[in-house]
This record gives sequence, structure tokens and C-alpha cells, in this order.
Amino acid sequence: MLTNDRIGAVILLAFSIGYGILIYDIPLLPFQAASAFTAQTLPKALSILGIILSLILLVTSRNQATPDIAGFKWLNGVLICILMLIYGFSVRPVGFLISTSLFLILSEYTLGERRRNILIFSTIPVVLFFWYLMSELLGVYVAPLPEFLMDMLK
Amino acid sequence: MLEGILQGLTTAVTPINLLMVIAGCMVGTFIGMLPGLGPISAIALMIPITYGLEPSTGLILMAGVYYGAIFGGSTSSILINAPGVAGTVATAFDGYPMAKKGHAGKALAIAAYSSFSGGTIAAVLLLVAAPSLASISLTFQSTDYFALMVLGLTAVAAFAGKGNVIKAILMTVLGLMISTIGTDQTQGIQRFTMGVPDLIDGISFLLLAMAAFALSEALMVVLRPKSDADRVKEMNAQSNLGSLKLSKEEVKEMVPVISRSSILGFFVGVLPGAGATIASFLAYGMEQRLAGKEKGKLFGTGSVRGLAAPETANNAACSGSFVPLLTLGIPGSGTTAIMLGALISYGIQPGPRLYLDNPTVFWSVIISMYIGNVVLLILNLPLIPYIAKILSIPSTILTPLILFFSLIGVYFVSFNTFDIHLMVLFAVAAVGLRLLDFPLAPMLLGYILGGMMEDNLRRALLINNDSWSFIYERPLTLTILVIAAMTLVLPYIISKASIWFINRVEKNMAK
Repeated sequence: MLTNDRIGAVILLAFSIGYGILIYDIPLLPFQAASAFTAQTLPKALSILGIILSLILLVTSRNQATPDIAGFKWLNGVLICILMLIYGFSVRPVGFLISTSLFLILSEYTLGERRRNILIFSTIPVVLFFWYLMSELLGVYVAPLPEFLMDMLK
Repeated sequence: MLEGILQGLTTAVTPINLLMVIAGCMVGTFIGMLPGLGPISAIALMIPITYGLEPSTGLILMAGVYYGAIFGGSTSSILINAPGVAGTVATAFDGYPMAKKGHAGKALAIAAYSSFSGGTIAAVLLLVAAPSLASISLTFQSTDYFALMVLGLTAVAAFAGKGNVIKAILMTVLGLMISTIGTDQTQGIQRFTMGVPDLIDGISFLLLAMAAFALSEALMVVLRPKSDADRVKEMNAQSNLGSLKLSKEEVKEMVPVISRSSILGFFVGVLPGAGATIASFLAYGMEQRLAGKEKGKLFGTGSVRGLAAPETANNAACSGSFVPLLTLGIPGSGTTAIMLGALISYGIQPGPRLYLDNPTVFWSVIISMYIGNVVLLILNLPLIPYIAKILSIPSTILTPLILFFSLIGVYFVSFNTFDIHLMVLFAVAAVGLRLLDFPLAPMLLGYILGGMMEDNLRRALLINNDSWSFIYERPLTLTILVIAAMTLVLPYIISKASIWFINRVEKNMAK
């Protein structure tokens, strides 16, 4: 049976093995390799511990619980993640104000908000206020608009 | 000590700091009330804002947020039976039935008074315990610190609860693994960066905390939206709160419960790894037994004692958990781990030296925790009917805002868009682990303690000429390590022994 514990154990087992393989990429100079504790020591111990523990969990777990995913809106989750990734790519070239407003409006739309007034008034004022708070009051500057617009405004 | 207290007091009552406590409590209550978002997320969301502030002001703000978030969690437990955090689960046992009977206002008042008293008594204990423990811990060496970190890590697992011990240890190991990504501190060697320049500095603590808590909690709301029935329930709950007043008998009933629970809560909170959840359940169980047969039956149906006990213990434990943080620099819970991360980012190393080097910070945090309690009582309680309105904001608007604040919180610190992408990746992984019922707090603790543990171990080895003999040669180190081993093994032995004992008794009975 694919129970919570078993799925988790297999994933963490794979992670521990992958982590263990990557340890061999850690370069050690000859004099470093001779000392009792090197940059590889803790990772090696952790990798072995991770493998042993996940095997124990895999074998001994009697918990029959399975992931409770009934009624999950997977599409919304994926779309929101994509929006966050796009936000990450756009916040610098497009500027804080435009990219953030678009991110918030599109996220609300994805989650089912269709009223135009709410889409606009629950997002843009928040973005403007937050930018003002950070840049003007707390001194954390972030470019508000794309570069070409900033140049034009100068 | 008196000098220190006065110094702390003068720092804490400056207008800006008072304003921060008040703002912190308000914001904390606001965030804590949102189902799913607990103190860890609330503090994590605050960290970027506090970067521009003085260290003590920033910490005071976070202490306020902490208390506010716990209070907010109790509010949502009582009003809609949806505890924001594990620490307020026991609050819902009697708080929600009381609210269902139409006494929501009274339940909120009892919760506020209990939290206040628990926090007050614990603050006094903290005032006494922290300096004395700090002066003892000055004699600690790096070997002892290494042992203490090991104890901190094993304690997490020991208190994880039945059937979850291995999972908790595994998650701690995962946290330790994540902490090794980046440049190795002692030898300057890159580890697990896979050639990505953005990983050379390692994964920032804030990024991990935000992704694993705030962001993944928001994603869970996206995946599992509230049903219409739940929303109607919430609307009803906040529309009729009833009176906030308590009768004389009720106050009389609460007083002994509060004094017992606060002391119990404080000491449970001091234990690394135990924290508010265990304290609240212990206090609830203890009071139920002490109440006797007649009154014990009322527990779970809206008993005053049953609400006062977990609420008091929960708050007292929160103050208690500051003892190991402030004196040893070791966080005992996910929330204090966040506070530790914040302190380090200010360039302040918590631990015994904090008491000597930065007495202002040390004392002002303790004093402001007390002020936070007062603010909650006199400002938040009367405002609860208005703050409760937040429960009626639809999640279609709230969730994008939480996502935005989490992402931008990390971005505004590093100004590296790679961090945003990494956060999404971590948040997705955290959602997966949540669905599989793997606890995330031990991972955060493992991450925080991991780097410190490795540093101290290396220092210990350097001092001892690369010899591991310090483990058994220094009595203090050995003692702590033995305790650590015991915390790991004892719960297992006790459960096996009790099963064996019960079987034996049953066999004898059968004969």
C-alpha cells in the first residue's frame, strides 16, 4: 500500500542517496583531507543517517494513512506556481509596481474573483502603499517602473 | 540585575518601541487569526520590515507579533474551531463549545485573561531564570555547545509524539542537509552548489522559513479552498460575540487554574523541543484530573477551567521557550528558531554573551514581552469584534496577498530574483511533505542548529588537536550527550515497558 509514511520514506531515501552521491563533488586539498573533520565529514554522516532512517521508516511504519487529496484544485495550484515564477522573472525588468499589480490581479482571477472593481481596488492601492512604505519610509529602494519609463520620467 | 531591568524598561517604553509593541500585537493578531498562518509565518513575514530598524526595536516588534499571533490563533480556535497553530488546539476543546452556546465573548475574555496571567507569571520567572542561567552558561566551551545542539536536535524528536519520532528525526536530518549547502565556513570549500553561483552563499534562513511555512500554507489554501458552509459558519461566528464580562464565581474558579498552569507551562516551555503544544495539552489533562469527577465531566462542553488551563500554559510556555534562546543561543521551538535567525541577521549572537554584551537588547526583549501582554489585554480584547471581521475577507483576495508578502519579503532582503524561484520550488516540496504528514518545524530547527553544530564541533576538534576524546574527557559534555541519547531512547523504552507491563497485568487477571 502506498501510505504517507512509505511515499515520504522513498522520497527522502532518494534524496539522501542523491545527496550522498554529490558529496564526491566536494573538492578537498591533500592537507585538508588528512584532518579529522573535513568539509565532507558531516555530509557523509547525514547521508548515511538519512538512508538508514528512511529505510527504517519504510520497513517499520504501520501507519495506514494515505494522502488526503480529495477535492484538491490542482490546476489552481499549478497556475499560481507559474504566476509566482513569472513574477520572479518580471519584477526586475518590468518594475515593481506593474509586475506586482499584475501578479495580484491575475492570482485573484485564478482563484475565482471576477468582479472588476474588487480586482482593481484590492490590489493596486496595496501595491502603491507598500512601495511607498518600503522606499520612502523604510529606505528599501526598489525600481517602481521599467527602465525606459524611468528614463522618460527623468 | 536591577540596573539591567531599568535599562530595559527605559528602552522598551520609548514612544517608537511602544508603538512597535502595539503595532506588532495588532498585526500578529490579524495574521494569527487567519487559519493556517501561525506565529512562525507571522514573524517570518515581519523580518524584512524590521531590517530598517534598530535591533531592539525590531525584536520588540517581533515579540509583539509573536504574542499577537498566539492570541489570534486562540481567537480562531474559539470562534470557528479552526486552530491556526498546534499550540491552540486544546483551546478549541472548551472554547468552541462555549462559543456555540452563545458565550463567544466570554470565552475570548477568559482566553485573554488567562494568556495575560500566564504571560505575566512566566515573564517574572524569565526575569529570574534567564540571568542566572546565562551566568552559568558562560563557563560552557565549544564542546559543551556541540553537545547542547545535539540535545536540542534529539529533544525535537523525543517530543514529536507517538509514531512520529522517526519522521521528526528524518526531517531534522533533512534540515541539517540543507544547512550544508553553500560555502563551508571553516575551509572555504563549496558544497552542493552544483555550479550555481546563487547557491554559493547557501540557502538563506528567511527563504527556507517563508517557503516552508507562509508560502506553503497559502498554497494549501489554494489547493483546498474553503467550502461555502465553512464561510457561513465564520460569518455567523463573528456577528454575535455576546458579552465580554465574567462573573465573580468564574474568576474564582480561574485563579488557581491559572497559577498552576502558568508554572507548568513555563517549565515545559524551557525544555528544548517541547513548547506550547505539549504544555497546553499537559495543563488541560492535569486540570481535568484535578477537577474531580463531577467537574471533570464538564471538560469538553465549555468548561471555564478547561479553557483557562491550556490558554495559560500555552502563553507561559512561549515565554519559557525564550530561556534557552536568550541564555544558550539554542532555539527550542520553530518560533524561537525564527527569532534566532532574526537576531543573527541583526549581527547579534544570542547566548550567554548577549546578556553581557547587549544588555539593552536582552532586557528590553523581556520587558517588552510583558508590555505585549498588557497591550493584548487592554487594546486587543475590546477590538476583537472588529478584528474578527478579517475572517470574512474572502480567501480569493487574502491568499494572493500572503503569497506576495512572502515572496517580496525574501526578495527585499537579497534583491536576487533567483530566490523567488527557489522559494516556489521549496514551497512545492513543503506542500508535498505536509500532505504526507511530515512535520516541518524539525526541519527548520535542524537547519538553524546544523551550521552552529558543525562550527562548534570543528572548533572543539581544533582545540583538542583533532582528537574526539573531548566527548568522554569533559564531564559536562559527556553528561549532556548522555541526556541527549536518553531523550531519544527513553520514550521508546517507556512505551515498550508499559506495553509489557499491561500485558503482564492482563495475564495475571486472566488467571
